[in-house]
Amino acid sequence: MHRFFARRREPPPIGSDSDDAELLLAVAAERTEALKILHRRHAPWLRVRLSRRCADPDLVDEAIQDAFVAVWRDAHRYRPTKGDAAAWIWTIAVRRLISSLRRTATIPPLARLEDTVGVRPVVESAEDAVLVGVEHGELGTALARLSPELRAAIQATVLDGLTTREAAQLLGIPEGTVKTRVMRAKAQLRGFLA
Amino acid sequence: MTVEVRGLAKRFGRTTVLDNVDLRVGPGVTGLLGPNGAGKTTLLRCLATTLAPDAGEISAFGLDPARHEQRTALRRRLGYLPQDPGFYPHFTVFELLDYVAILKELTDRSRRHREIRRVLAEVELADRARTKVRKLSGGMKQRLALAQTLIADPDLLVLDEPTVGLDPEQRMRFRALASRLGESRTVLLSTHQTEDVAALCERVIVLTAGRVVFDGTPEELAGVAAGRVWISDTPPAASTLFWRTADGRYRTLGECPPSGETVAPAIEDGYLLLLGATSANAGEGAA
Amino acid sequence: MSGMSEMSAVWHPPADLVRRYATGGLDPVQVMSVEAHLARCGGCRTALPYEPEWLAESWERIEDVVDRPWPGLGVRVLCRFGVPEHVAGLLSATPSLSRAWLVAVISVLGFAVGSARVTSGDPDALLAFLVVAPVLPVAGVAMAYGRAVDPAYEMQAATPLSGSRLFLLRAVAVLTVALGLTAGATLLFPGPLGASAAWLLPALALSLGMLVLSGHLPPLLAGSLLAAGWFGAVLICDGVLHDRFLPFQPAAQGLYGVAVLVMLPLVCLRHRRLAPGEHQ
Repeated sequence: MHRFFARRREPPPIGSDSDDAELLLAVAAERTEALKILHRRHAPWLRVRLSRRCADPDLVDEAIQDAFVAVWRDAHRYRPTKGDAAAWIWTIAVRRLISSLRRTATIPPLARLEDTVGVRPVVESAEDAVLVGVEHGELGTALARLSPELRAAIQATVLDGLTTREAAQLLGIPEGTVKTRVMRAKAQLRGFLA
Repeated sequence: MTVEVRGLAKRFGRTTVLDNVDLRVGPGVTGLLGPNGAGKTTLLRCLATTLAPDAGEISAFGLDPARHEQRTALRRRLGYLPQDPGFYPHFTVFELLDYVAILKELTDRSRRHREIRRVLAEVELADRARTKVRKLSGGMKQRLALAQTLIADPDLLVLDEPTVGLDPEQRMRFRALASRLGESRTVLLSTHQTEDVAALCERVIVLTAGRVVFDGTPEELAGVAAGRVWISDTPPAASTLFWRTADGRYRTLGECPPSGETVAPAIEDGYLLLLGATSANAGEGAA
Repeated sequence: MSGMSEMSAVWHPPADLVRRYATGGLDPVQVMSVEAHLARCGGCRTALPYEPEWLAESWERIEDVVDRPWPGLGVRVLCRFGVPEHVAGLLSATPSLSRAWLVAVISVLGFAVGSARVTSGDPDALLAFLVVAPVLPVAGVAMAYGRAVDPAYEMQAATPLSGSRLFLLRAVAVLTVALGLTAGATLLFPGPLGASAAWLLPALALSLGMLVLSGHLPPLLAGSLLAAGWFGAVLICDGVLHDRFLPFQPAAQGLYGVAVLVMLPLVCLRHRRLAPGEHQ
């Protein structure tokens, strides 16, 4: 009994070819070199993707730093069974961006609105499968026909995985407006795809 | 010359620990060799400004540690590894280095922390930054003490027995670090290990009973025993220092044994002979 | 993870498309397509162009937060009061600001207040408090710095901040804490404040005496001498002059006041030359 409780989970050896889940396990064991590899691997794409949601580079950099500090503190909470590590880190990063937007109380300096479309990585749906090859797909055409405002609402809630409140903060519009725009967008998409 | 010492003397009670020591130490790695109680630690403490001598003068970078302002100026260029570095056991490795870094006047936090990470990497303790000092092994404590000396990149390093407690691999790494430091800085280290001296010191000073009895290159120290190291098939007289080698012959230091042939001396031979010559007045006395 | 590799086997956006995504030259639906793919494909994510300097800078700032110890309670409290971070860090290693020492002081004071309250203002309890209180700050300063009390003394002694600067910093911190705690105990003491606060001037005089003497003696020795002198004076007043409260009478208080006025400029003027027992 005693040995069972006393045994410490030794993290596996890690290197730049370790997968994200192994690295997160090592981060949970407080190994900074694992976090460094994760940062090298994820910070560049997070930066590009966040920049499409906020035009202020300082806020984006800050969100990325905060996100990796949060990964450091919360790595022990990550469970590989609950989804991809990249998606987990993305969610942390975009939430950090929103909270720093809220803190600075700026009207979100959105990148060109028509550009602010993202896809939530862990949505298990038919739509999602089509999106991967979207260029000539029907859904691509349908989304292209949506107005920028409706597309942004769909992006933030459905695809970026934000709550209505977070989406409202990111887009700088009231929560009620987010809800109605999402409903209208979904209705239009259904119409286009029918 | 980085360090010049003239007529240094120190007594503790009735014991004379340093007796009219003269030294000049320049850039590179200089080893201070001597038996226990020879005064090595006392000499290094005087040079590290933590102990005031009773008599004599010390000058390092032209600064006189007996004067308050100059002492502080000297400390800004000094890294010191005490023989028995005390720690605050409840501090983490990082906290301890942070504390020393503040004492070394690194007030800007981010610069200080960058420096701490640099020295931790130098002694390969980066993955122990958050470990409490009391949980470190002896070798790790010694490396932490070494890391502390490297903070703020001092020009003069005074290291009292830096290789104590290190395993063979860590000792190799220390030698690599020390010789790299010695390229542009002055490193003065004390040791019991003649191998350390042979491996990395350009100069060696032998101290016995508070006096400098040798000052030269490691080759010159070995040369002290030239023509006095013998290999023979039969054991020599019992009064001399000898041992049986792996191939069943006898290696003798000193008087020629029956049918002995001379071999090239090692640093150790010269060192042992020096110690014998200076302490055994009643013995046969090496002329 | 398996889903990722499955998907990536199907289709990868051409490198040119990924580059244009990074630089912002894609139409919204293409952006969506690329992002959807990147979210699933680690290979294409790492193929995104990036600036190494930006990455290094970003990592350095993260490392600075992640790899530094969470400052202790004492440091955080001091920083809250406007003490610079590095000064607070220095004080954190003061032996007589350790938890053990603070607990000891608080117990002594608590015991004094408690016994005075239980005996409802017994003069003996008051006298014990008045005699002990001035020694507390002296003891704190004596145990704040020096070879005898500081395990890392030898290591610190070779640094530029050691000596008078570190000693004075620690001494002021310890005096503030000790005087503050004793003042707090005084407020809890039963009876008139004038009587229970009679320790203040002797405490100030002894503390300043401590700072002056420490320029010439190791602090521990200086503290022992002062404490012995103080207790000796108290015993003489009781045994020879037969007035237990004499050390706290107005005449004596005047004497302490004069001593404070004499020593204060001395400490202020000569503080740079203080060498608390070092280099001897």
